[in-house]
Amino acid sequence: MLHFLSNKLLPLLALVAFLALWQFAAGFWPPELFPSPLIVARALRELADTGVLWSNIAVSLARFTGAYLAATVIAVPLGLFLGRNPRCRRAIDPLVQVLRPISPIAWFPLAVLWFGIGNAPAVFIIFLAAFYPVLLSTISAVVGIPPVYLKVAANFGAKPGAVFLRVIIPAAFPGIMVGLHIAVGTAWIHLVAGEMLGAQSGLGFMIVDARNFLRTDWIMAGMLVVGVLGLCFNIGMRRFELWLGRRWGGIA
Amino acid sequence: MTVSAKIRLDAAEKRYASPRGEDLQALAPVTLDIASGEFVCLVGPSGCGKTTLVNLMAGFEKTSAGAVTIDGRPVRGTDPDHIMIFQDYGLYPWRTVLGNVLFALEAKGIKGKEALAKATEYIELVGLTKSRDSFPHQLSGGMKQRVAIARALAVEPSVLFLDEPFGALDAFTRMYLQDELLRLWQEKRPTVVFVTHDLDEAVYLGGRVVLMAPGPGRIQKVIDVPLPWPRERLGEGLGRYRRELFEEFHLVHQQSTSDVEYEI
Repeated sequence: MLHFLSNKLLPLLALVAFLALWQFAAGFWPPELFPSPLIVARALRELADTGVLWSNIAVSLARFTGAYLAATVIAVPLGLFLGRNPRCRRAIDPLVQVLRPISPIAWFPLAVLWFGIGNAPAVFIIFLAAFYPVLLSTISAVVGIPPVYLKVAANFGAKPGAVFLRVIIPAAFPGIMVGLHIAVGTAWIHLVAGEMLGAQSGLGFMIVDARNFLRTDWIMAGMLVVGVLGLCFNIGMRRFELWLGRRWGGIA
Repeated sequence: MTVSAKIRLDAAEKRYASPRGEDLQALAPVTLDIASGEFVCLVGPSGCGKTTLVNLMAGFEKTSAGAVTIDGRPVRGTDPDHIMIFQDYGLYPWRTVLGNVLFALEAKGIKGKEALAKATEYIELVGLTKSRDSFPHQLSGGMKQRVAIARALAVEPSVLFLDEPFGALDAFTRMYLQDELLRLWQEKRPTVVFVTHDLDEAVYLGGRVVLMAPGPGRIQKVIDVPLPWPRERLGEGLGRYRRELFEEFHLVHQQSTSDVEYEI
């Protein structure tokens, strides 16, 4: 009972309190400036009925998936390689340390110059946002492999290929998963930013477009959708990790 | 020195360069012969070079001077015929008990049904048949070390090195595993080199006990314990060798503390 109270009821109460506060506060401003939750809900339904919402969600998800997978496919192997090669790692480390603090958004002007308006700049920014967390966590996962794992493999005479596939990759896997999880968050945040700046479609564009029409209710509806989808990714990722953890001997 | 020594240390020595560039001697030249099928314990306080010595024999480290030979061949690196068992088990957490034992067999090139049969046999030998499909984190420390022992024995090595294998276990589990190890040794008869800092453990297990001393690491004394196994832990016979070892250790201890005082 207490468990139910703290796990389900309290978050629900907090949500209700937030909505009530929002509704109350919205009363002080005209709805064009600060729409109430009811107005936003109506706007959401409007966007859903006209199909604008669904097509923009589809576009955003496609960009997000493509860029995220591309970042993973490049960053994981690169991280595995750098993790195993201290010399290359030391060589490339200062470069990464300089590039990493540059917000993906800062790349935007160049991205538009290079790729024009459309899918490419947004995809490029999401790619950058996902790339560094995956790369850095993969490197540290490989570097952090307990030496005894490798000693045992060497002692039994495992061949280098087998050591890589059966020791290094599984040993680094939980750490890589942490990076993949973080990257989902950063990539999703930057998706909206990327689409706001250079795209003609997607959730970010939908928000900017709504501002151009001064439709604050649409803006808030768009923000809400971004938030809820982000929450869904997080839950999905956590479920996936739990499932993996069970398969992985409970260390993921 | 007999010609038929299984492991031969001939003035084997280990030096390191310290971070400040000084030349440090971890192990003064050590000469020792270990016969095939023998159970030898290396015992001594920390810094006596016992782990360094076993690492030289197992091929994890290289000698700075002198030679280590096993079966007449110089040790150049690790060898699947000479398996090391570590204090922290070195089990793969993503593999089950069976999977961990299979890893060793697969590395040796044994596959499929044959590997499965062999793994099952050795898991049974250490009494873990019921935990065959458990993951390491579901096992106690003692069970984990039994898995590591099963994994090592499954590849049928002629030499087994153990580096403080029971150091992290509670006293009851330790005594149980000591007896288990003796049983397995008597059944399979590998040459065993067992590193410990526990004098009681050394004298209870070893056919010979090599007492080592620090600063630099060296052999202080080799004590024969010509008692049959299984031994009586509190028996008269063992008591005598125990006393001898403790008195000798007392000398080592006095030396090392006076060294420390001298340095201060």
